Amino acid sequence: MSHTAGVQTFADEVKAVPGGEHLELCYSCGTCVSKCMIQQKVEPDYNPRRLLRMVMEGMEEAAFTSPTTWLCSECDLCFSACPQEIHISQVIKAVKELAVRAGYTSPLTAVTVNEDLCSGCGICAMVCPYEAPSLYEKEVDGVLDRFSKVDPNKCMGCGTCVAACPLGAIARVGVSNAEITAQFPETPKDAPTMIVFTCDWSLREAEDVALLESYPEDEVNVIHIPCTGRIDPQHALMALDSGVKGVLVCGCKPGECHYKRGTDVASCKIGLLDTMLGQMNLPQKQIRFVQIGTQERGRIREEIDGMLNTLTQSMEAMA
Amino acid sequence: MTSKPKLAFYWAASCGGCEITVTELGMRLVDISEKADIVFWPAAMDFKYEDVRAMADNEIDITFFNGAIRNEENEEIAHLMRQKSKILIAFGSCSHLGGIPGLANMYDIESLCQRVFDTSPSVDDTRGTRPQTCTIVPEGEIKLPALYEQVQYLADVTDVDYFMPGCPPVVDQVWAVFQAALSGNLPTKGSVIGASAKSVCDVCTRKKGEPGFRITEFKRPHEVELDPDLCFLTQGVICCGPATRAGCGTPCLNGNMPCRGCYGPAEGVEDQGAKLASAIGALIDTDDPEKLNQILETIVDPAGTFYRFGLAHSIMNKMKYERGTGHETEDLH
Repeated sequence: MSHTAGVQTFADEVKAVPGGEHLELCYSCGTCVSKCMIQQKVEPDYNPRRLLRMVMEGMEEAAFTSPTTWLCSECDLCFSACPQEIHISQVIKAVKELAVRAGYTSPLTAVTVNEDLCSGCGICAMVCPYEAPSLYEKEVDGVLDRFSKVDPNKCMGCGTCVAACPLGAIARVGVSNAEITAQFPETPKDAPTMIVFTCDWSLREAEDVALLESYPEDEVNVIHIPCTGRIDPQHALMALDSGVKGVLVCGCKPGECHYKRGTDVASCKIGLLDTMLGQMNLPQKQIRFVQIGTQERGRIREEIDGMLNTLTQSMEAMA
Repeated sequence: MTSKPKLAFYWAASCGGCEITVTELGMRLVDISEKADIVFWPAAMDFKYEDVRAMADNEIDITFFNGAIRNEENEEIAHLMRQKSKILIAFGSCSHLGGIPGLANMYDIESLCQRVFDTSPSVDDTRGTRPQTCTIVPEGEIKLPALYEQVQYLADVTDVDYFMPGCPPVVDQVWAVFQAALSGNLPTKGSVIGASAKSVCDVCTRKKGEPGFRITEFKRPHEVELDPDLCFLTQGVICCGPATRAGCGTPCLNGNMPCRGCYGPAEGVEDQGAKLASAIGALIDTDDPEKLNQILETIVDPAGTFYRFGLAHSIMNKMKYERGTGHETEDLH
């Protein structure tokens, strides 16, 4: 830990890492905790206020092993709420950097690269919100070849790279291409069957999640993805090709994405797909992307019912 | 009586570029003619369909079939060549994936005819001409093959043994395939031959984008002075290399032009255009969500760009023509 001369305390060390400077502005009000989706949805022990306090108290090991250090995805919902305007995610990132230097590793399951499939295009490195993948060179059969490698301590598991990887060379358990397509309903009947790809974070209330699950499975098939950054237009088309009548992709409102840019990435991809469907004179309403805000409880029902109605009407018109 | 293998070449809906790539073999064609007999090659030699019809089934050892299936004649000869050939190779992008002619599947026949026969600036539109399958003239009846509603690729209409991509296939790959075929060293049926498994990026030596690179505006190649050492995407120019099969030897990249995708989808790509939309869409700068649509609008003709050679082979094409969800539901727009 000799990166800065004269470092005394753990708090000083954190402050010396870019982003950690604002630590001492924190007066532990806890507004950040009330805003945090991780605390509410995943890990009750997740607590930015407590982590910052640990740092100030010099509790190095407790900070390094705290879930808060590793689970923060820099969504920055707390940043906009903090009365002291502390960029909390960057303070947490500073703690994480020190933890990694000290040999601690992320408890999250990172994506991995299959080098047999990787062409070294670097798309994953460019699209990742956390800059977890990067390219490296090694000699294969006497020729210098490029491959992607992933820093497992930086990867948050959003799957944006998995969807962007042209060759299916990058994946994580639960979000691989095969695992997603395996969830397509097998024999869609001659009814307005639809698939809802939903980001695990966009429906923030239990009642919304319950609502989503309340539809009969053979009518509304729900496929959970970590983030809509994981949506692959190929999958939307393959679903329609398999006989599904509509695909609804449900993500977060811009600015509320848990993985920083996933919802906007999805917006670009579905936007492109929509344009191409239009160019082919195919009905564009079969694929729809909705961005649901934290305050829009119950909107998912309107969106699903709306699509079911549209699909039923167009099927009746055809019959 | 000869024991030399028999080769045939045919062109269906194509531009002739695949034929030129065969002639580019130059003196090596003489080597081929020593090892094999060319028994049918309408573009270069005087054979008739009747000559082929007179052959026994499977009499031709290998047929190299280029061009898409656009009309009745294309399909009829595809079936004929299949019947007469032991090995049928879809040769070049059009035969493999529909190629450039496949882009016509964005339009219906009537609007295509309107453009070609009525509104094209170089055409006198007063006669309302349309191609007829049968026309009576003083000398008798003139027959033309009927145009199909959609452009198809060879495997749409008949059983194909191998697929050789490229617009056109590059000459060194053609030579390598000839040698493999004549020595009986072709891989398992259904394989893509004369190409690699990975993508063009695997062999491209340009410097890739840094982590976190984002595109803020797309440009067409003529709108920007291109750096020959940098990845085209990092210069805001769409390159289809990431999802396109390698094997071409990168002549376009060497000429400082981005990959247009003619070698078709690389292994692991289900749908070339949708995959490119997934990869390139994710590179767009998302810092200001308000601007996303403006950036997207700088991609001129996304379907024609991402599916330039493979629209007829795309899932969208299947949805439009096989499931018939195209025209009946136009009112949804």
